[in-house]
Amino acid sequence: MKILVSIIFLFMIIFFGVPFLWLYFSAFDKEASAFIKFPNFTLSNFIEVFREYNFTRYLVNSSFVATITMILTVLIVAISSYSISRIKWKYKNAFLYSLLLLHSIPLSTTMVPIYGIMRILRLRNSYLGLILIYTAMQLPFLIWLMKGFFDTIPEELEEASWIDGCSFFKGLFKVILPVSLPGILVVSVLSFLGAWGESMLILILVDSEKMKTVPLIFYEAMRTVGGYMEVRYELVSSFAILFQIPVMILFILSRKLLAVSIIPGVER
Amino acid sequence: MRRRKFLILGILPAIFLMTFLFVLPSLWGIYSSFTNMALLGKEAANFRFLGLENYIKLFKDSSFYTSFVNTIYFVVGSALIGQFLLGLIIALLIDYAEKKKIPGRGIVYGIVLLAWINPTLIAGFQWSAMYDYYYGTLNKFLNLLGIQKINWLGTMPMLSVIVANIWRGTAFTMLIWLSALKTVPLELYEASKIDGANAFNRFRYITVPILRDIITVNLIQITMATMGAFLLIWAITSGGPGLKTTTLSLFAYRTAFEAYRLGYGSAIAVIMLIINLVFGIIYIRLFRRR
Repeated sequence: MKILVSIIFLFMIIFFGVPFLWLYFSAFDKEASAFIKFPNFTLSNFIEVFREYNFTRYLVNSSFVATITMILTVLIVAISSYSISRIKWKYKNAFLYSLLLLHSIPLSTTMVPIYGIMRILRLRNSYLGLILIYTAMQLPFLIWLMKGFFDTIPEELEEASWIDGCSFFKGLFKVILPVSLPGILVVSVLSFLGAWGESMLILILVDSEKMKTVPLIFYEAMRTVGGYMEVRYELVSSFAILFQIPVMILFILSRKLLAVSIIPGVER
Repeated sequence: MRRRKFLILGILPAIFLMTFLFVLPSLWGIYSSFTNMALLGKEAANFRFLGLENYIKLFKDSSFYTSFVNTIYFVVGSALIGQFLLGLIIALLIDYAEKKKIPGRGIVYGIVLLAWINPTLIAGFQWSAMYDYYYGTLNKFLNLLGIQKINWLGTMPMLSVIVANIWRGTAFTMLIWLSALKTVPLELYEASKIDGANAFNRFRYITVPILRDIITVNLIQITMATMGAFLLIWAITSGGPGLKTTTLSLFAYRTAFEAYRLGYGSAIAVIMLIINLVFGIIYIRLFRRR
């Protein structure tokens, strides 16, 4: 039985691992192909990506959008999930379940109408548009997550501080903020990654050269570098790795925190 | 009372942004689905109301039925069978390996998770290289085994995108099963072992009943997520060859942004929204029961 399990593990590692191994080998290879082979090591692909493809510009765009989205999301999520957690309101449950419903509807369903609205509001090709839509698309799940977190913090904690003479906001700031830091960290990481990695709406919301982001430029590289028939795999793989790095780093750093919170509905 | 006012104010920004993302687009989608709105061509200059014409046309459109059936194939193949079974098997094996201290479980867990957090577009790129007819990794492997090359994306495109999506999304089910398995009380297993039940019967009569609700919720979650899959298929096949891998979300995209027919595309989006809402409401009901 042990041997059987080990063999299955080996197959799983091959099945899940080979596409990654291929990607990493290709990016550092002088001339990669669709077949996995040990690289003829070079960094020239990355240099070419920055030199020839103006990558810095896209990197700045992506980082800017993701950072502002993260800040805005954290603010809104913290304030609104705290409010929902503490408020006594007849429709509270209905509201919470409608959040879950919104979260469960895939973005591709409303992609066409989102394009229409953004076009009317002239929010295509704009930082503001991207930031607003990226913030909004993450709120349902993150509020749901963070509200559950605030529920575990006893209300007596902040009430004690008010009795001690703190004002409403000062009490929250001094007492609630420190204990909710782990939750806020999770929300920050998830919202940054959500905005950084979003690669579907960007296809329809941005077409001006100076507004392009990393996912969009990776998509275009994948479609066009070297013409349709002969993809320059080594170059596209370098784009992919530059796109992937922040995801991997943040994920590894916050693995423990994320693992418990990423699945709604499963008890911690 | 002043405090309550702050709490109500605190919810408002969230409500505003979600209105902006969901409510406004939905209303705009319904409105434009009754029109001939277009991005280019003579229809674009000739805006008018069509009433239900788009919907009537849609229900007579054979491409719509093809994409609908493709969506069902894709969901059943990659989510309900692939991700669910594979996720379950991996979770059970990792759980077993933890008890028996079999090495390699950490690597399997990590690499399955890696495929999940990896941006979907990159997954699409990786798999289009795997499937490449002339130089693809998969065909080269087959070559080594002495098997003839297969034109994966030409002769079995649906199966190919299904496998890629299993690769990408299995981790979610695995994570749910792994944490769910930990909630089953061990004493029940011990007792049934004494009673002489074998592993399969223990799974069938102890694990499954306890976890039934988690299983249903998980199934609905992956069904909805997979129905909405867009990027992976788009990156690998763009919906082709022909319409062979065009699911509803790709059909809506191609209609709106390749044929430039926004109104007709909105009608498709409205139908998708209705399907999703039905599933979503079932999901919420099951979720509340727990």
